[in-house]
Amino acid sequence: MISISKSEKSYIQESLRSTLAFREDGRGLSDFRSVFLETGIAPLANGSARVNLGKAGQEGGGGTEAIAAVKLEVEDVQSGDGVDGGRVACNVSCSPAAYSHISSNALDNLQHDYTTLLHQVLSHPTLHPKNLGILPHKKAWLLSLDVTILSDAGNAFDVIFMAARAALWDTKVPRTRSIQYAGRKSVQTPEEAMDVDGNSAGPSNFNTRDLPTATDFELADTWDEGEPLEGRERWPVCITLNIDSPVHYLDATLLEEAATPLRLLLLFSFPSSSSSILQSMKLLGPGELKLSEVTGHITDGEKYARTLFNALESKLRDEDLRRNQKARTKFAGR
Amino acid sequence: MGSRVEILNDDGYRSDGRRQYELREITIDLSQRGAADGSAMITHGLTQVLVTVFGPREAKMRSHTLHDRAVLNVEVNIAPFSTGERRRRTRGDKRVLELASAIKSTFEPVVQTSLYPRSQIDIYVHVLQQDGGLLQASINGTTLALVSAGIPLLDLLCSVSGGVHSASPLLDLTTLEENDLPHLTVAVMPKSGKVTLVSMETRLHVDRFGEMFRLACDAAKVIHGEMKKAVKARTQKLVNAMDVGPGAKLQGDFADRDDEMDMME
Repeated sequence: MISISKSEKSYIQESLRSTLAFREDGRGLSDFRSVFLETGIAPLANGSARVNLGKAGQEGGGGTEAIAAVKLEVEDVQSGDGVDGGRVACNVSCSPAAYSHISSNALDNLQHDYTTLLHQVLSHPTLHPKNLGILPHKKAWLLSLDVTILSDAGNAFDVIFMAARAALWDTKVPRTRSIQYAGRKSVQTPEEAMDVDGNSAGPSNFNTRDLPTATDFELADTWDEGEPLEGRERWPVCITLNIDSPVHYLDATLLEEAATPLRLLLLFSFPSSSSSILQSMKLLGPGELKLSEVTGHITDGEKYARTLFNALESKLRDEDLRRNQKARTKFAGR
Repeated sequence: MGSRVEILNDDGYRSDGRRQYELREITIDLSQRGAADGSAMITHGLTQVLVTVFGPREAKMRSHTLHDRAVLNVEVNIAPFSTGERRRRTRGDKRVLELASAIKSTFEPVVQTSLYPRSQIDIYVHVLQQDGGLLQASINGTTLALVSAGIPLLDLLCSVSGGVHSASPLLDLTTLEENDLPHLTVAVMPKSGKVTLVSMETRLHVDRFGEMFRLACDAAKVIHGEMKKAVKARTQKLVNAMDVGPGAKLQGDFADRDDEMDMME
């Protein structure tokens, strides 16, 4: 996306293809830059996370940063857009601060590309969480996932999916309880009872409009954040393989992305019950690959994705611990 | 219906436990973010705003530049998860454009743009959380981001919001209070006392307005103190970091230093 000269491009490509391959910052071909992750950054959202890849240090700047937040809203299945069992909608917005060198039209296009990919992958029925329904055929949750890219220093796809996964991990669905209204029994004698709107034998005195016996839901406990979103272990991680045949490498910086524009995005899901699942795959950029190469890349990608997944898992569990258990002991000790 | 929340009860406490003239807790974070020249994250209570500044730099469109000064370009991005109810705003949303335009005209007289002709200063405001005082937080954040970027200003511009509740003026309003009371936002240059922004969208009696306005200008001086403290702390940190790195002040005489370098090889 940034402009690059022919000599810079050939310098990067030559170093990658040499026998002792090296990159401009001294990393190995499958080395990631350091990842900073924090959950619960937006208290008003049902789940949120911030991920920064490649920051210079604790106090440093730079790196690819994305904030993801999940909000749950109630939707009506019959009259609104709701779907029985709930639905998932994803959205990515790119801050102009991250892409200050491109015009606003190009920024919209970029946003649209990221949004389409994120939405198509995460709203797939195989990943659908089972606790998004409230009242069958009446009300359901709409899960809106918003990802904002605050800065881009390369490898935006991996960061978007990492942030999305972390926010979904952090999401708590409020517990609901369905309730039903029951009217008082009429005390009028049959001959005095008026035939109002033909509802003389109507069951509910509250039924002043043509509504079915009113069933509704309420929050079981307003102070309780809720239960975790079902299917946390199924959300996929994304690994981008930058390909400069016959070499491939991970976590490219902006300069490297400009030098080797051909990329293969692989999204793997590692559910605890079964073996890994290739959730989605996308080839981007000019270039072509032989089918045998593609299968080779998928096998390698699965190994990298598993490492990334395990690291992310342990960090997310750490975050859970930090925010819940430690906060409780801190409060108890006051 | 349950009991209505009292804006100001008989003992002088507001709905969030503050006193009448008490400001919310302010936290300022001036650490570097992304590739920005300057950035600041400011929170007033629960309102959190991140402002990044780029510039002065070459303008994207040459036609948008002015021959004798820099152009300020402000873009506001309100996160959909910033309020209690999710609301996605498009870039051309009128409310957002109005906010951006207010910030731009507030800073035109403060930034010394005549020092950078034919260039552009980009200010990107990201609203991460909203609980009242959005314009106030955006302006304070922009001042700090400009300072962090090293862009010369005439003074630190400080902003505060205020409202009136049945003849008692209140400062630094939350969303609950903003929905109920007539309120205004002022932006003041504390050293000279000059005001670059007064904004009010509700109806208020003229007598109450004078009192409220004076109070808000005084309150801005308090925020000025906080900002200066934060900028000083940040600068101190950077200076300390410089002392440790190479090119530090020479300590001892030259001979010692040469020995050290030989040993490092």
